[in-house]
Amino acid sequence: MSMDAQLIEHMMNPKNYGTLEGADAQGIGKNPENGEKVAIYIRVGKDEEELYVDDIRFQAIGCTTTVLAGSMLTEEAKGLNFNGVQNLVEATMKLLDRLPPEDAACSEMVALAIKAAVDTYEKRKSDPDYPVITYKVVNSCVPKDDNMKAINNQKEGR
Amino acid sequence: MKTIMIKTHEAWLATLMAGFMSKTENKQVLFDFSDILFRHFTWLENELIELGESYSYDRDAIPIKVEKLSDLLHDIEKRLSEIDLQLLSSPDKHLNGRIATDIKYIRDVLLHMEDEDITAFSMERKFPGIDLTEEATDALTLFLFEETYKEYELIMIYNYLKAHSNDAYLNRIFQILIDESFFHLKSFGDMGAKMGILAVPRMVMKELYQVEDVVQFLKNGINEELAAKEECKKLSEAVAKDSPELEKFFDFINHQENYHISLMEDALKHFEKGNNA
Repeated sequence: MSMDAQLIEHMMNPKNYGTLEGADAQGIGKNPENGEKVAIYIRVGKDEEELYVDDIRFQAIGCTTTVLAGSMLTEEAKGLNFNGVQNLVEATMKLLDRLPPEDAACSEMVALAIKAAVDTYEKRKSDPDYPVITYKVVNSCVPKDDNMKAINNQKEGR
Repeated sequence: MKTIMIKTHEAWLATLMAGFMSKTENKQVLFDFSDILFRHFTWLENELIELGESYSYDRDAIPIKVEKLSDLLHDIEKRLSEIDLQLLSSPDKHLNGRIATDIKYIRDVLLHMEDEDITAFSMERKFPGIDLTEEATDALTLFLFEETYKEYELIMIYNYLKAHSNDAYLNRIFQILIDESFFHLKSFGDMGAKMGILAVPRMVMKELYQVEDVVQFLKNGINEELAAKEECKKLSEAVAKDSPELEKFFDFINHQENYHISLMEDALKHFEKGNNA
C-alpha cells in the first residue's frame, strides 16, 4: 500500500468510527475465512419521500485496511439516498479486481456491510423484528506474498 | 457509576497520549498519571461488577490533535474536574475518596506543567536520526497503526477477563500480559509520536472482550502472537539496512512474544484442566 497524506489522515482519525445511538438499522459484513467483520449502523432520513442515510457509523474487527475502507466508504455513503448507496456498493465491488487480494476482501466487507444495513432497514419496514442481515465476502484475505507463493506452488504441482 | 467509568477510561487514554507527545521530564509524570487513572478505571469496573450492573468499554472519540501540550492538559483537567463532580453522587464513599484525592493532586500538577510544542501530528513520518527508505517507512507506519490498536485491544480483553475471574493463577497470568501489553503500547505510541502519526486507538468491539469461549480465545491468541512474531521479523528485516537500532528493537519485541505464548499456553492448560475436573 503506498501512503499519501489523505490515507494517513484516515488511519490517524478514522471517520465515523463507533456505534450510533438511535440507529434505525444495522448490517454486518463478514469474512468467514478469518473471523474479521464490519458492523454498520445507519440512521435514515426522509427528504421529499426519498430515504437517505442521515448518519452512519462503523466498527471493525479487522486490520488497518478495513478501518481505512470503513472510514472512506462511510464518508461517501453519508447523505446519499438509497439508490446512491446501492450505486456506491456496486461501484466498490467493480473496483475490487484492481486491488491486491487482502485489500479487496477488506473493502468488500465494508461495502457488503453498508448494503446489509440498507437491506435490513428495507426488510424491517414490513417486519420490525427482522434480524440484522450479514453478508459474507467472496474475496480471500490472503496477503500478496503468500498468495504468490500459493500460485507458484500450484504451478509447480506442490 | 457507569458514566464515571467511561469518563475515567477517556481521561486515562488522553493522559497516556499526552505522555507520548511530551519530549521533556513531563513524559514520565504523564505516564505515571495515566497508570493511576487506569487503576481508577479498574476499581470502578470492579465496583460495577459487585453491584451487578452491566457495563461496556464503549467510549467517545478523544480529540487529541493540539499544537501545544497545555491545550491537551487543560482538556484533561476539565475531564478530571467532571469526574470529581460526578463522584459526589456516587454511592461508595471510600472508593470516591481515594479517587478524589488522586484527582485533586493530578489536576494541580497538570495545570503547572511546563508547556511544550507538539510535533506528534506532523505526519512527517521521519524517525529522528534514522533515514529509512520509503518502503521501510510505509511498513513501519502500518505496523505502528496495527500494533498500537492491538496492544490496547489486548489490555482491554485481559482486563475484562481478569475482572470477571476469581482464579488467582489465571489472574496472575492476565496481569503479566496486561503489563507486557502496556510496555508495547507505550513503545509503539512513543514511536508513533516521533514519526508524527500519533493516534488514539479505536474503540474495541464488545464481542472481542466479552469472551464467551476462553479456550478458543486463548488458542486464537496464541496463533495471533505467532503471526505478530512474523510481522516483527519482517519489519526487522525491512529496517535492518537503514537502522541496526530499530532492527534490534523489533527482534527484542519478537522474542518477547515467546514469553506471551508460553503464558497463554499455561493459561490454556489451566483452563482446560479446570473444565475437565
